Amino acid sequence: MDIVVCIKWVPNTTSVNIDQKTGTLIRSGVPSVINPHDLHALEIALTLKDRFGGSVTAITMAPPSAKLGLEHAIGMGCDRAILLTDMVYAGADTLATSYTLAKTISKLKFDLILVGQETVDSSTAHIGAQVASWLHIPYLYYVVDVNYLGDGKIWAKRLLEDAYEEYELTLPALLAAAMHSTHPRRVKLSYKLRCKSEQIIEVWSNKTLGLEANCVGLKGSPTIVRKTSFVPEVPRKKIVCKPKDVEQAAEWLIKRLIEERLLKI
Amino acid sequence: MSRHFDAIVVGAGPAGSTAAYTLAKKGFKVLLLERGRVVGSKNIFGGRVYSRPLEEIYPNLKEAPIQRWVVKERLSLIHVESNISLDYECRDGRSFICYLSELASWMAKQAEDAGSTVVTEITVDSLVQKNGFVKGVKVGDEVVEADAVIDCEGVNRLLLEKAGLAEELRTDQVALGVKETLKLGSAEIESRFGLGEKEGLSWIMLGDVTEGLPGGAFLYTNSAAISLGLVLMLNTAKALNEHVSRLLERLRLSPFLSRYLKDSSIVEYSAHLIPEASSVMLSRPYSDGLLVAGDAAGYLLNLGYTYRGVDFAAYSGYLAAQAFEKAHAQGDFSKKGLECYGKMLKESFVLKQMLKFKGIHNLLNDRTLFSEYPRMLSNLARELFSFDYETPTLIEALKRSKKNISWLKLLLDGFKVIRSI
Repeated sequence: MDIVVCIKWVPNTTSVNIDQKTGTLIRSGVPSVINPHDLHALEIALTLKDRFGGSVTAITMAPPSAKLGLEHAIGMGCDRAILLTDMVYAGADTLATSYTLAKTISKLKFDLILVGQETVDSSTAHIGAQVASWLHIPYLYYVVDVNYLGDGKIWAKRLLEDAYEEYELTLPALLAAAMHSTHPRRVKLSYKLRCKSEQIIEVWSNKTLGLEANCVGLKGSPTIVRKTSFVPEVPRKKIVCKPKDVEQAAEWLIKRLIEERLLKI
Repeated sequence: MSRHFDAIVVGAGPAGSTAAYTLAKKGFKVLLLERGRVVGSKNIFGGRVYSRPLEEIYPNLKEAPIQRWVVKERLSLIHVESNISLDYECRDGRSFICYLSELASWMAKQAEDAGSTVVTEITVDSLVQKNGFVKGVKVGDEVVEADAVIDCEGVNRLLLEKAGLAEELRTDQVALGVKETLKLGSAEIESRFGLGEKEGLSWIMLGDVTEGLPGGAFLYTNSAAISLGLVLMLNTAKALNEHVSRLLERLRLSPFLSRYLKDSSIVEYSAHLIPEASSVMLSRPYSDGLLVAGDAAGYLLNLGYTYRGVDFAAYSGYLAAQAFEKAHAQGDFSKKGLECYGKMLKESFVLKQMLKFKGIHNLLNDRTLFSEYPRMLSNLARELFSFDYETPTLIEALKRSKKNISWLKLLLDGFKVIRSI
């Protein structure tokens, strides 16, 4: 089975701040990481390859610094990694991004596409669905387990809020891995060394893809952010209780809650 | 693909990157392994680096990510709400303030540019030994071999312990360093601390900052941030009945510091172990097929009024690389072939300094030094400077402020301090 995994290179959201005036992420100086949800997509893909053979190709559309993320993907065991990078791709919304990804994937040999269920920087979970739509293939989200049934068919189990659903899909198809669905493997030294010695990461610009400039990047993005509003900041009272024991702490807390009229006894 | 390297360096801190850089420049095939996601992500220090030894190794050190050059040194004895400070100003800075993560990453870049293979996210699980001879490293289920391994794994030397080449560290041998990075505008830093552009302050505080426990506090000015931290001997830190972060928070909010730090915001909190006792130092930092440098070998010096680690680490890595070259020329990577490393270290400032201040650890573990003396000196200053009618003579003031410390103890302790530093 030949699998393509789409990954996103995102700013590490634990250290990101938002510019209160412009409402945009302050990305400068913030180290980037592979979108954590995508690691599960990679793990599912690599497990399938371990069991049924084939190949795994990781692709990302990002600035050149994302090479580091693709090195991680190779380190985990991907056979190929493609970095789509070109100034004309910058500023893309999900429509332009999914278009570019789909056009890239259609140049590759693939049976299955895997993505993460969403991204941690913007939570736009629909890239996967859009890619599948461009390619006219079925898609399934929140997948926790996959098996190959032979005959171009797969079985997939997906997690809903209070239930599991099992599906049979005909390949080619796209699956979005559910968060926390796997334990992504550690990188292997020999794979990372291969990365260093063979210049394995392929860099594709729009010269390679030859896409219409009006369909990619900012030009191909109809989405406009009109306004960003913030949750109003509640001034905290910053009171610290230093109790002797749990009972005293509970007593103190109850008393304060009553004072604040949050609790009635 | 070849799985054999001339040398494998474990750990891309200042010692490891410098060893890899030096070897790669000499044309050796080097593999530098780092467990952090990116180089520098596991490196923590207070903030200051002495530059001369690094200039000898890196001719382009001026291009390194330096925050500010230290032009101002301040040593303060803090007692309750008064403090006695010694200020020294010199425009010709011999040391600089930086973020170690940035400096380590810069050093690894030099190593990579020189031709080393730098691989991150790789935790070495063990040294591979054949009849006691180190032949390579094991990572997961993979083995990579080399003529010699240079172990720069840092203070927590798990590889050496596993290989039976170092004892497990005891709490009386290490200190705990905790640090907050506080964001503050560069204009504020410069006006509040009386600094010019690119000029920095190194401020060491002793006394109440550690609640009288052996250790101290430090403050370094970065370009647009302050590094504020505490160092506590680990065995005595146990005497604290609260989390050490509380102590640091109190220090940040203390009246004598808060005006300097007003409107700053915490952007990072970090902690690290610091090798303190001279007994951490390996008596023989080499073995068959193995060289040890940096914190792993115990090369760090805390004098109470200043800390030196990065220059020692880098220089020992530099010497380890030279020892490797010599051993390679003779085709002998055994203990005997690598013996020259020990000799080079002994002749270098690293070991000379370490041995010169061998006794300092005992002094820095002396509780009276950190509780009684700051109190005494602060009382003395109050007697001398803050009076209503009568000015006391120096001897009267001293008599009154020393309280329960006998003249003999004062004399002996004074002698002890002078002898140790």
